Amino acid sequence: MADRKLIRNFGIIAHIDHGKSTLADRLLERTGSISKREMREQFLDDMDLEREMGITIKANRATVKHTHDGQEYMLNLIDTPGHVDFHYEVSRAMAACEGVLLLVDATQGVQAQTVANAYLAVEGNVEIVLVINKIDLPGANPDETALEVEHILGLAAEEAIYTSAKTGEGLDELLTAIVQQVPSPGGDENSPLRALVYDAKSDPHRGVICNVRLVDGVVKRGDKIRMMAVGSEHVVTEVGKYMPKATAVADLAAGEVGYLVAGIKTLADVNIGDTITHASRPAETALPGYEAPNQMVFCDFYPGPGTDTAELREAMEELWVNDCSFTYDPATSDALGIGFRCGFLGLLHMKIIQERLERESDVNVVQTAPTVTYEIAMNDGSVKQIQSPSEMPDPSKIMEIREPFCTANIIVPAEYIGAVMSLSLERRGVHKKTEYLSPARVMLTYEFPLGEIIYDYYDKLKSCTRGYGTVDYEITDFRGGKLVKMDILVNAIAVDALSVIVHADKAARRGRALISRLKKEISRHMFEIPLQAAIGAKVIARETIKAFRKNVTAKCYGGDVSRKRKLLEKQKEGKKRMKQVGSVEIPQEAFMSILEPEDG
Amino acid sequence: MGVGLYVHIPFCETKCGYCDFYSLAMKDRPTKPLVGAIVRELTQRRAATDEEVETIFVGGGTPTLLPVDGLKRLVDGIGAFIGGAVLKEFTVEANPASVDTEKIGVLRAGGVDRISMGAQSWHQAELTALERLHNPGDIVEGVRLCRAHDIGRINLDLIFGIIGQTMASWMDSLDRTIDLGVEHISCYALTYEPGTRLTALRDAGRLKPCDESLETEMYLAAIERLAKAGYEQYEISSFAQPGQRCMHNIVYWRNGSYVAVGPSAAGFVGGERYRNVPDLAEYVRRMDRDGTAEIERERITGATLAGETLMMGLRLNEGVELARLGIPAGAPLSPAVDRRIRLHGDGGLLEHHGDYLRLTPRGRLVGDAIISDLFAALHEGVAE
Ligand SMILES: Nc1nc2c(ncn2[C@@H]2O[C@H](COP(=O)(O)OP(=O)(O)OP(=O)(O)O)[C@@H](O)[C@H]2O)c(=O)[nH]1
Ligand code: SF4
Ligand SMILES: [Mg+2]
Repeated sequence: MADRKLIRNFGIIAHIDHGKSTLADRLLERTGSISKREMREQFLDDMDLEREMGITIKANRATVKHTHDGQEYMLNLIDTPGHVDFHYEVSRAMAACEGVLLLVDATQGVQAQTVANAYLAVEGNVEIVLVINKIDLPGANPDETALEVEHILGLAAEEAIYTSAKTGEGLDELLTAIVQQVPSPGGDENSPLRALVYDAKSDPHRGVICNVRLVDGVVKRGDKIRMMAVGSEHVVTEVGKYMPKATAVADLAAGEVGYLVAGIKTLADVNIGDTITHASRPAETALPGYEAPNQMVFCDFYPGPGTDTAELREAMEELWVNDCSFTYDPATSDALGIGFRCGFLGLLHMKIIQERLERESDVNVVQTAPTVTYEIAMNDGSVKQIQSPSEMPDPSKIMEIREPFCTANIIVPAEYIGAVMSLSLERRGVHKKTEYLSPARVMLTYEFPLGEIIYDYYDKLKSCTRGYGTVDYEITDFRGGKLVKMDILVNAIAVDALSVIVHADKAARRGRALISRLKKEISRHMFEIPLQAAIGAKVIARETIKAFRKNVTAKCYGGDVSRKRKLLEKQKEGKKRMKQVGSVEIPQEAFMSILEPEDG
Repeated sequence: MGVGLYVHIPFCETKCGYCDFYSLAMKDRPTKPLVGAIVRELTQRRAATDEEVETIFVGGGTPTLLPVDGLKRLVDGIGAFIGGAVLKEFTVEANPASVDTEKIGVLRAGGVDRISMGAQSWHQAELTALERLHNPGDIVEGVRLCRAHDIGRINLDLIFGIIGQTMASWMDSLDRTIDLGVEHISCYALTYEPGTRLTALRDAGRLKPCDESLETEMYLAAIERLAKAGYEQYEISSFAQPGQRCMHNIVYWRNGSYVAVGPSAAGFVGGERYRNVPDLAEYVRRMDRDGTAEIERERITGATLAGETLMMGLRLNEGVELARLGIPAGAPLSPAVDRRIRLHGDGGLLEHHGDYLRLTPRGRLVGDAIISDLFAALHEGVAE
């Protein structure tokens, strides 16, 4: 059993791309956990998509050994994702740590997710070790960066450790700081077992592997355990640690981090955040656990060409079992058939899930425009939440429509304040405060309707700040607003999958943009096709797709038969990609095209 | 029904910008090897089929660019192919500037009774836009020569929708063609075929195609004008005086059988389609070496056959025999096809006429869309 005083549990947190995974590489390497031969960049990012995109999507953990002052320490590190969609992974990691390394890129300075993640660490009541990274780069300003952090987060600049996760410079100091500054875990190995399930994954051969942090007690192979929330009991077949490869050990004791296999068949049988205890000597109270991740955007997935609903369902179930960060419920659309309403943590998360579905199960997905959750206060006093415009009740019965609001921190060089302010005003943002991180950089705090910021605000911010602006947001509450459901009519038929909820003042503009995009997607027919955007019975934007007057091949003789027939066969295949709405054929791409950012 | 014979001569003076036929600028290319190979293919194919040939069409390209002795060898070869059969029609394609007295004489002596000439337009600017080398005077002269050699049936091709063409100039071209008293007139909308220079220019934004409305008006005006002058429309682009329809082309549109020879030529014999290699040198080489230049052969049955019959048949004003759209032919129509026919019928685009299904005048304007729609319906529920 390891001596708890020689254990350090810490997370690595930072803004996206500030070098967390690369620093983890260096720690693995320096401690001899993996050989040079096995090494590859961002070693812990083991998902294909993570490697392709160069970002971390899921938190990863590893245990490494480090000798300091003649003592061998066991360091449990958790590499976390930086992207805003995956904040919940960071907050979960906090519950398994006594400390964090807060990394800040010395060429970029403090960014929005630096602040957000630091707050999570403060909330989690863990020790923060400030690390200024990428000092090898020519544009690095480590001192200034450290001062910025001191200014905005109150962490002492002189205690910052300067590193290069690329060259390994500063790593010895960092290891010393981890040993000296991160507290050893508390807990009591003699108390009844309490192990927090902070993550779980499914293995085709061994069933579910629970990643656990031991708070009290000891667990070993052969123990009969109980999941306190679920109530199920299992016999432990293996306990181990990620070294970084999964390696079986004799036991796991209070303070340690590792994994546990216990013949659990599917992830549906495990609650992330549940507490594991012994069946024979159960703990009295469970650990606080986690709140389920909060889905912020919703859209529908329908079966695309060559896929049917049953196949899509199977694919969704399979993926969900491995990654329950999204939700899905049955949904139907007149235009698109039977599919699923899905909830996501953000737009990146939505794209990742769609990509994984298509990749891992070989299905085709047609997706509708994402929307946030709206709260509808009815005249009869009841309140309901809707996740799709099609669920909107009859307007005459509605007292008020409320939309989610968030607080957003935007960090930009001072010269772009004006640009950010006008962008934010356009997005119905309310300015709350401006703080200078340094004379040259500011953090603006705004309140926004979530729906104004979640889709393309970040892109717009990047383009109006030459790539320097970053933003982070957190949902605060629901507030009533002048919101309306806008329907899109194609040849006088409202297409449910194209409806959107918009702010009344912006409806006309949004409607025009939507319709002109639709006009490009739908090809001409034998008849004229009016396209309209309407709120109730009131048409607020319209366009017409002209009928073709003449569409007939001038010449077709014996030599043309095969070629023309093949052309018809191709058209026939193309028609399969069309959704028939009334007598109009709408290509499936049209349903996606309304996702594209406005103004081109 | 007897079969047709098509012979492809892939030579032209220069290559026109809108043309997607397999043809080459002639320059100083030797013609002998080609004629020799074609005569060989004719012999070969004769041995393989015993069908009676009733119609012949020699096209290209510009067959009349062949030298006199080449033409003579060609018509002799064709004569041997048909043996003693009684022909209903023997057409050769020509360009107004490429005919001369001697060549017409050789053709007439070889049994040719119909000449089809690419007049295209009576306006120099339009001919230049099309990159055609002849001038309006050549058209008159070409027709005169044919008549002088007792060619009783003449077709002139005209093109509308040319860049810069006006309704007035189009009507003028039509009138002057009618005035010549030719038996048959074909009116083609200028088509932007993939891979042509014209299409590349359009796609690069360097020329602006004729407005669709104007083109439609031109087409409708032609139908009306030609009807008044006694030319009946019997196909999308074909107009003839009574009894003067092109029987060879009707074989195509009724999805009948035809033998085809020459580079790139495509035939349909005994229920199989084949195609020859679309390369002059390669064609000659293969005919010499292998005795065949076919690069594709496919048996056409089921929905594919019905689809082709539909695609070709609806081009004719008479339409397509409904029974032939069953799978197999004669079987009742599938509910999907029935439904689409009814839908377009209700829309006034299709109509029944006896045992035939045909496009209405309004339907004819959007024939491709209707054909595409019915074609897809034909394949619904058919195992592939
Ligand atoms: N020059 C230099 N490049 C670095 C350093 N640390 C990281 N990088 C590079 O910065 C990029 C991002 O590094 P990652 O380690 O993937 O960053 P991350 O913080 O894990 O990013 P997310 O997981 O997406 O939040 C990669 O191209 C690294 O090679 C450093 O100290 N110096
Ligand atoms: S003359 Fe006829 S076949 Fe020859 S290039 Fe011109 S259009 Fe094509
Ligand atoms: Mg990473």
